Amino acid sequence: MNSFAAGWRIQRRVIGALMIRELVTRFGRENIGFLWVMVEPLLFAVLVGIIWRYMKGPEEHGVSIVAFIASGYIPLTFFRNSVNRTVRIFSVNGSLMYHRQIKVLDFVFVRVLIEMIGSMMAYLFIGVILIVLNEFPIPADLGALILGWFLYCFFTFSLCLVLAPLSEMSDVLEKIMPVTTYIMIPFSGTFNMVSWLAPEAQRAMYFSPFVHSMELMRYGIFGDRVNAQWDVSVPIAASLVITLIGLAMCRRVRRELVVE
Amino acid sequence: MIQCEQINKSYPMGSGRKQVLRNIDLQVRPGEHIGFLGRNGAGKTTLIKLIGGVEMPSSGKIRRHMSVSWPLGFGGGFQGSLTGYDNARFIARIYGHEYREIREFVEDFTELGPQLKMPVKTYSSGMRARLAFALSLAIEFDCYLIDEVIMVGDANFQRKCHNELFDKRADRAVVLASHSPQLISEFCDRALVLDQGEGTIYTNVDEALEVYSAL
Repeated sequence: MNSFAAGWRIQRRVIGALMIRELVTRFGRENIGFLWVMVEPLLFAVLVGIIWRYMKGPEEHGVSIVAFIASGYIPLTFFRNSVNRTVRIFSVNGSLMYHRQIKVLDFVFVRVLIEMIGSMMAYLFIGVILIVLNEFPIPADLGALILGWFLYCFFTFSLCLVLAPLSEMSDVLEKIMPVTTYIMIPFSGTFNMVSWLAPEAQRAMYFSPFVHSMELMRYGIFGDRVNAQWDVSVPIAASLVITLIGLAMCRRVRRELVVE
Repeated sequence: MIQCEQINKSYPMGSGRKQVLRNIDLQVRPGEHIGFLGRNGAGKTTLIKLIGGVEMPSSGKIRRHMSVSWPLGFGGGFQGSLTGYDNARFIARIYGHEYREIREFVEDFTELGPQLKMPVKTYSSGMRARLAFALSLAIEFDCYLIDEVIMVGDANFQRKCHNELFDKRADRAVVLASHSPQLISEFCDRALVLDQGEGTIYTNVDEALEVYSAL
């Protein structure tokens, strides 16, 4: 039991140190520093929201278009940033391998965690402002929103656990990544509810773990004004299976890793 | 005590693999000083990385029953874009030490002054060696893994290393890879000569140096 407690202490220490290191290297100490982490999702959500507002009018299917875009873009930028930052993460961080208490899983976890915190800060910030401007509803079911968000994050993390080792094994991955993250947008639930789609498309969406998490988040925000459909067992099952595969792959790649 | 049993290490090379280390058995006892000798590319650095846990052996087992420093060498262990102070802060945090104490020791040992506020990538190899040594000495390991790096320092640095490592910490184990016969014969109790991936242990260091010079 003591060794477990000691291990836990080391783990917390390492995660904390890695987070600070990552924030300092990425954002520096000048001007707003680590607050930059929320600027990108914020700008995406706001600018795309404004463009759509003028292209398509204030509402779509009975919900505010700005609120709908913001609630879709923040998770999407979180996913894209997490995935992009995971490519070649092991070789880029070779210097960390010199310290045995740092495991490769720690830095995948830290990167996703930082993106997650940044996105949550952006979400809160944008939500409050839009609520004041009367462009965003007060969340109908905060629990559903938070649960949906964590399911979305869990699935993203599990994908990162596979992509990190995969990007070390093959250079192809790095090259096909941008197109893949673009093509997956229709399957991410970002810009539409499942109920807005044709029946065949709806059936296909059932297999996307992102869509279930998105629908749950949308229900948490808009309540019964949208016809949300979700099944939490899909993202949970998918994330668990992919996490296990990812853990095994990380272990394998770590054994072979050449550190400068 | 560090125990290496039947260590093999190979790297992918073209369609096949290059065997760098073959069936290495080695024990490092507390307080013992072991020198690694071998020509360039003989596997000294690789073996030190394996002992330090930076890379994993292809087969075989390494057991560490004492605290082992990270390999102190030309590269590695630092984030180049961060300043000397930030690197010290990071290392203090992950090893659970008080940053203030470490900073004092680092300032005193490295004599780098305001340079510590500059990114580590702007340092010369001698300056990096000073920083790496200072940090690992401040953390206090039972065993220090040293890859060449003492030799890059100036006379002042070498004197400090001797003083801090071989005098004040004479009870610590040291694994020292070096091409300097003088350094090895002066400080090592045993030597491992690496050739073609095979390792041979000599309890008589002079004998090891003779074998090495004939390679």
